[in-house]
Amino acid sequence: MKKALPFYTLLAPSLLLLSVFSLLPFLWAFWTSFSDYEVGGQTKFVGLANYGEYLTDPTFLPSFVNMGLLTLFHIGVVLIFPLFVARMIFGLSSERARYLYRLLFLIPIVVPGIAGTLIWRGMIYNDHGLVNETLRVLGLGELTRGWLSDPQAALWAVALIGFPFSGGVNMLIYYAGLAGIPESVQDAAQLDGATGLRKFFRVEYPLLMSQVKLLVILTVMGGIQSFEGMLALTKGGPGFKTMLPGLWMYLNAFSFQRMGYACAIGVILFLIILTLTVLNLRYFRSTEELTEARS
Amino acid sequence: MKKRVKRNDLLIHAVLIVILALTLTPFVFLLNNSLRTNFELDHAFFGIPTALGKRDWNTLFQSYRDAWQVLRPHIVNTLFVATVTATGVTLLGSLTAFVFSRYRFPGHRLLFMYVISFMMIPGILTLVPSFLLVKSLGLLNSYWVLILPGIAGGQVFAIFLFKSFFDGLPGELFESARMDGASHLRQYVSLVLPLSKQILSVVIVTNVLGTWNSFLWPLVTNSDAKYQTVSAGLFSLGSSALSVNHANLFAAYSLSAIPMLILFLYATKPFMSGLTSGAFKA
Repeated sequence: MKKALPFYTLLAPSLLLLSVFSLLPFLWAFWTSFSDYEVGGQTKFVGLANYGEYLTDPTFLPSFVNMGLLTLFHIGVVLIFPLFVARMIFGLSSERARYLYRLLFLIPIVVPGIAGTLIWRGMIYNDHGLVNETLRVLGLGELTRGWLSDPQAALWAVALIGFPFSGGVNMLIYYAGLAGIPESVQDAAQLDGATGLRKFFRVEYPLLMSQVKLLVILTVMGGIQSFEGMLALTKGGPGFKTMLPGLWMYLNAFSFQRMGYACAIGVILFLIILTLTVLNLRYFRSTEELTEARS
Repeated sequence: MKKRVKRNDLLIHAVLIVILALTLTPFVFLLNNSLRTNFELDHAFFGIPTALGKRDWNTLFQSYRDAWQVLRPHIVNTLFVATVTATGVTLLGSLTAFVFSRYRFPGHRLLFMYVISFMMIPGILTLVPSFLLVKSLGLLNSYWVLILPGIAGGQVFAIFLFKSFFDGLPGELFESARMDGASHLRQYVSLVLPLSKQILSVVIVTNVLGTWNSFLWPLVTNSDAKYQTVSAGLFSLGSSALSVNHANLFAAYSLSAIPMLILFLYATKPFMSGLTSGAFKA
């Protein structure tokens, strides 16, 4: 035991920080969700009342439908666009060109995420923005609208932000997978006469499964959790047309000061994520990807 | 055969250039429109800055001067917070991972599981209670509220990455160092750190990028603009006096990317090869 003391000392700073800033909030989330915690008001234990209220909340159904639609859309996107670009780059014969394209497609990640969102809001979707002005130039003026305020268009407008969805790290992850396929496998496929699309779907795509799974898991986790973009774009409007559960949690906590209610929404989202995690572990046994899908 | 390869390459170049152009279109318009007045923007979205045609450099870059005035303190804040957080995460993360990787002691497995289990806790669950915690600790409106939780949360993934890397280092290396009388800490400093340059750069870059992009936490914990970082600052700009001119906002968005651009010019190579060499390969 005495010999182990230096090890505990070395670990102490890490463990202390984790316990205070990660474990405490985790436990606190559940505790607060059972109480009527309002800033400036009296805190009292209310049992499951917050959960009951959320199930009948007018945002409940629309926000989960929006979350599901956006997540499905982004799963489709992440399966196609960055993979297509990665495969294209991988197919170039010049090593220098391959490097250059990877670098160029990485450029968008230097722009802070929120700046990217604000650019779409302020320059592409606004009244005199890129989309409307392009429509006017093409003589399609009657199609112009406030893309983020139109009840029919808002959710789609949000989904299409980032088009053509190829910049950044996702493409590099696919590329790393392609580069990791052993030469012998590629050669064998060549010998068997597999070329083009056939070779891609029969030989390469199955070998990219771990990358595909990683990106799908990250997309699902992001789809359930992220709402910053929506906060900056629409605040959930018009009406609840673009409301998300996470955004409703945020608004309750920081606009309406209803901390207990917000924590209950957080706990429900956590339980959904936990369920998906367990299902994934049981049926796909991909612990490694999961550990990277954190927060 | 050679000719077919060439034609194939040309086709790929054409496709890639179109996709790349679409990807970069918003940024090209951003740069162009950051140099144009409201009047120009409202009358013709497509067009080059009038001041550019008149070679009037003073007017041309006015928006950047205004935006820089407002953005500079936020950039300085972010640089400070990002540096301290990344340093903390790298030092603590690699040290903790080193201890877990090289030594066995009572509770070893349990403690490691404790650390790693935090990867399963999603940020959405802890956002509100973390806010309540730092509020009751009296940390709101300070650098600490960004740095301490940043290190606490950021180190988990770093420990995971470092440990799997250290586990792969040959044991004889440490055996011989110990024979030479190197202490635990000495082994860590002069043996482990130099060997892990690539993984270090991956951890540092992802961490700095994380701080740079972090938006919600700085927004809710620092209502005082004095401590606000770039992302939260940009968000608040939209409702400030600066936003009377669109060009000012666009200039601010462009400026916010420059520090990361510089980091990338320096770190892309090790970062990309770190990505490829297995850090992100599942």
